[in-house]
Amino acid sequence: MIDRTNEQWLAELTGPPDVQALALEELRGRLQRGIFYYLSRERSDLADLSSSEITQMAEDLAQDATLRVMENLDSFRGDSRFTTWATKIAVRVAISDLRRARYKDFSLDNLTADGDLLPANATGVTGTPELGPEDATERDDVMQRITAALKDALTERQYQALVAVAVQDVPLEIVAERMGTNRNALYKLLHDARRKLRTYMETQGLSTQYMMNLFQD
Amino acid sequence: MGIQDEQLRKLIDHIFDSHQDDVLDCDSCGCQLECLAEKVAGGASLREMWPEVEAHLMCCRDCREEWQALLCILRAESNGQLSTPEK
Ligand SMILES: [Zn+2]
Repeated sequence: MIDRTNEQWLAELTGPPDVQALALEELRGRLQRGIFYYLSRERSDLADLSSSEITQMAEDLAQDATLRVMENLDSFRGDSRFTTWATKIAVRVAISDLRRARYKDFSLDNLTADGDLLPANATGVTGTPELGPEDATERDDVMQRITAALKDALTERQYQALVAVAVQDVPLEIVAERMGTNRNALYKLLHDARRKLRTYMETQGLSTQYMMNLFQD
Repeated sequence: MGIQDEQLRKLIDHIFDSHQDDVLDCDSCGCQLECLAEKVAGGASLREMWPEVEAHLMCCRDCREEWQALLCILRAESNGQLSTPEK
């Protein structure tokens, strides 16, 4: 494997067909090795897959990643090695793909403030054994006030995003896609939602310190 | 029963966690990731040199997952651990 400078990579990837083909092939192979390593070493959720399945997956992802790199060549600024930048893109392609597969059935539709995720009359919180009856009652009461705050302070969109990301651990990328927005906008939306909720809850006597004490393990 | 308790605690952690989550957003974190990953793979401390990036990674699961993946591949590469997978 030849180690190219950034300038060489760019020149060859945009060069005459035979030069380009060779550079593309090396880039693809390189990305594939990185993706394969990541999938086989770092993803315990893929442990059930055979080595050849992972190899195939890495091959497909590397193909997609190479295309993505080529589409974005203009945005390479040169402040890292070219291959590191390309690997960042490959990582995104791979992880996005894994997220989409895992959450293919996820829908925001049943996440409404009227749904039963956090019912107003939640008896669940009394189930924690180490709580005395007074604490449990207090927590039940706070639980109801939180549920009310979620309804009153947040828009439907903010509510759905918050529950999906904070409670259901759904990746921002997936929630953003379902909402027809992008991850960055969703991150900001969540930030605003949290701030709004904190402010609202403070006015309801639910200060940060109080909440943290009450719900600490 | 326990599930709801767990859900509630997660929600509260998320709402009241005192992390600074407005310094960087995903885009501005993501666009410098390759440059920082090279330096961190080379031994630099993210916390000391780019605390605002670390703060974002702490509170953004998506960016954190991608950062860790990139870093692990770079480290494997510099340790000569990236081999051609066999069919
Ligand atoms: Zn982020």
